[in-house]
Amino acid sequence: MTDKKKLWQIFGPVILAFGLIGLLFLLPFPLNHMSQQGLREASVSFSDDIIKGQGVKRAAFAKGEKFVPFFGSSELTRFDNMHPSVLAAKYHRDYQPFLMGKPGTEAMIHYMSMQEMQPALDHKKAVFIISPQWFTKDGVNAAFSTFYSPLQLTEWFLNMGKEPTATDKFMAQALLNQQPIKNNDFYARLLNEVKDGHSLSAADLSAIKFQNRILSREDELFTNYLGTNNWNKDVVKQGKKLPATYNESELDRLAVKAAQKETSNNNFQIKNSFYTQRVQPSLKRLKGAQTNFDYRQSIEYSYFQAVLQVFAKEHTDVLFIITPVNERWSNYTGLNQDMYQQSVAKMKHQLTSQGFNNIADLSKQGGDPYFMQDTIHIGWRGWLAADQAIKPFLSSPYQETHYQMNDDYLSQSWQNLDPSQQSMMSYN
Amino acid sequence: MPNLQPYADPMYFVYLLIALVPLAVGLYFGKRINWYEVLVSLVFIFLMFDGDASHIHQGYALIVYIIWEALLVGWYTKYRQSKNSTPVFYIVTILSILPIVAVRIAGTGLFKPELSLIGFLGISYLTFRTVGMIIETRDGSIKEFKPMYYLRFVLFMPTLSSGPIDRYRRFIKDIEGVPDRATYLEYLSKAVKYLFLGFLYKFVLAHYFGDVWLPYCKSMALADPNHFWSWWLIPVMYTYGFDLFFDFAGYSLFAVAIGYIMGIDVPMNFNQPFRSKNLKDFWNRWHMTLSFWFRDYVFMRLVFTMMKNKWFKSRITTSNVAYVLNMLLMGFWHGLTWYYITYGLFHGFGLVINDAWLRYKKKHNVPHNKFTEGFAIFLTFNVVMVSFLIFCGFLDTFWFHR
Repeated sequence: MTDKKKLWQIFGPVILAFGLIGLLFLLPFPLNHMSQQGLREASVSFSDDIIKGQGVKRAAFAKGEKFVPFFGSSELTRFDNMHPSVLAAKYHRDYQPFLMGKPGTEAMIHYMSMQEMQPALDHKKAVFIISPQWFTKDGVNAAFSTFYSPLQLTEWFLNMGKEPTATDKFMAQALLNQQPIKNNDFYARLLNEVKDGHSLSAADLSAIKFQNRILSREDELFTNYLGTNNWNKDVVKQGKKLPATYNESELDRLAVKAAQKETSNNNFQIKNSFYTQRVQPSLKRLKGAQTNFDYRQSIEYSYFQAVLQVFAKEHTDVLFIITPVNERWSNYTGLNQDMYQQSVAKMKHQLTSQGFNNIADLSKQGGDPYFMQDTIHIGWRGWLAADQAIKPFLSSPYQETHYQMNDDYLSQSWQNLDPSQQSMMSYN
Repeated sequence: MPNLQPYADPMYFVYLLIALVPLAVGLYFGKRINWYEVLVSLVFIFLMFDGDASHIHQGYALIVYIIWEALLVGWYTKYRQSKNSTPVFYIVTILSILPIVAVRIAGTGLFKPELSLIGFLGISYLTFRTVGMIIETRDGSIKEFKPMYYLRFVLFMPTLSSGPIDRYRRFIKDIEGVPDRATYLEYLSKAVKYLFLGFLYKFVLAHYFGDVWLPYCKSMALADPNHFWSWWLIPVMYTYGFDLFFDFAGYSLFAVAIGYIMGIDVPMNFNQPFRSKNLKDFWNRWHMTLSFWFRDYVFMRLVFTMMKNKWFKSRITTSNVAYVLNMLLMGFWHGLTWYYITYGLFHGFGLVINDAWLRYKKKHNVPHNKFTEGFAIFLTFNVVMVSFLIFCGFLDTFWFHR
């Protein structure tokens, strides 16, 4: 054998392997198919990969699918017999919630996740559940790196218009503070450009496009969303406890009945298992522990504004649900209800002044019997109250939106505005 | 400047392999471009020790260390050309292992913890190479000290951080010559195979064992209300054992493969260790360059000294004492913790028992067939796994919550 032939024998297979990998990643057509059952499971799987990725979202919100994105956080994981996914499935409604959120997902994480699902929002409906607990002074994006993916970021770059908008500049700065992005020299350089209002060069854009292609194929091949059995375990099982036909007062009766049974070991109407595991061990320490909690001044108002900008850009018809805290519990921990209501008023001002008028404000109902499942998460009758807003909203056709966006909501002066001291009227 | 840890992520291979192309082309055409090899090595060593303050600090520690060791070896070689006193040899050896001894003692945190600052990634492997040279100089096998050769040997880039541990005379023979074309093609073909096998070991299997399953098993064990024993310790043991093997064997394959591309026949470190039929066989297959180092420079010399001075009457006692001391020293080398030292003793006494059994077997004609062999492999594998459970230090966390 000649030496040349030997060289081929050694390196030929390597070259071939890289060629095949290249093909796998660069072929222009999708390589996976998601079944109806797969998507149904994905809609309640709470997989981090779904928030990080693109493929599942694209499939779930494709034309003809009845999934509607439900953005939120920990409350979405509180399954009981009145959970929106249970009600929609049981009564064969023409929508099915696709739950986007779990503990730790606040506005900034949703903002990044939405970058990969613009077609899902474009002239479509969505539900967005706001937890005032997100609105701490510096925001609660500790979970950012859990839910961040470079795919989100490349999509963000590609979604950007020619000139960076005020929101783009604001988010560029916010993203630069995040560890996984800060540590990537390439992304950090581009974000610094955007932050300073410069548009990206054609070379950078094509590099981003190339990365985006590789990353979306990686997402397609490796996203894991079938590892759970939540559809059968939660949705179907809970649905079996409901009457065959929808009847409001009957559901209310069942909600109370279930809640009574499951909150029997404490006086806060907190679910028994949650109480024994999470509350009881530190009950003494928690007394009066939340007196100084304050949600009125927070950078989160501007992250939230960035989310609203996406909705406005895509003309999304959105229902906002603002959740309460368990009043029996907050009386014990000393959480200031006036402060809570002022923060809710600030959120609502930000919404209504820009034309987001579909708001289900449940924030005052935290004292209603069996409204909450635990300390801060709605359950049973709380879900039922939410359904009173969700059902008519999603049963009616898409409404053309007329949002008037105001970039002042990205400013520090809005973040720091104290609604108990200053007037919000200058923000319109 | 970016910091590049050796073989840590796929991009490292891209950079390194591209940098090695001119060298490989040269070797293919029968020329070793020495200046280029030194340059590439320096660049990649620099990239290991730049970046943040702690890496830079290690870089300085490496420079100070290498000057110290070079002076020692250089002086001793000169001295040895005319004289050969045993105490001088011992003093030089002790001085050469002084840095690592200080680092190990500091590592316990009990005494002068600030001394750990003289440590750096790879210090123990550099020490093995240097001490090996001192011993061979005493033997008269190495006769002259060439600073450049010394540096190229001790700092050989592919094996700098974690071995394999080569031998000076073998290494120098390689860099002084050029492999002929057929041999070099053989090297390249092995290099490709080892690189891909290494990818499978380190980036796939070690990832699942070490980053996915092991943390899960550990957390389950720690969640066990019983603080003395948990059934989860058994999966911890096996997942750790496989993680250790695939991680280290993968790393070693990379180092050998890169060595081959650079035209150096770096010795292999693992040879299917889980197929060992007994503990002795295991140490001929597991971290081979380390165990051979200990065999040649510690065990054999201990036995020789003990026999010469007639410390023990029986040969068997002599070798048993040497086994235990040899393995105990290896335990100390890993670090001054109860679990490393226990691990060393475990293997020391394990080898003693192993030898006793082999003698018994020979004397009593114990039947030997496929099944006994299978059982021997099974037993050896599990004994080794138990030793890894000790070695991994998880018992320290489990029992003493450290």
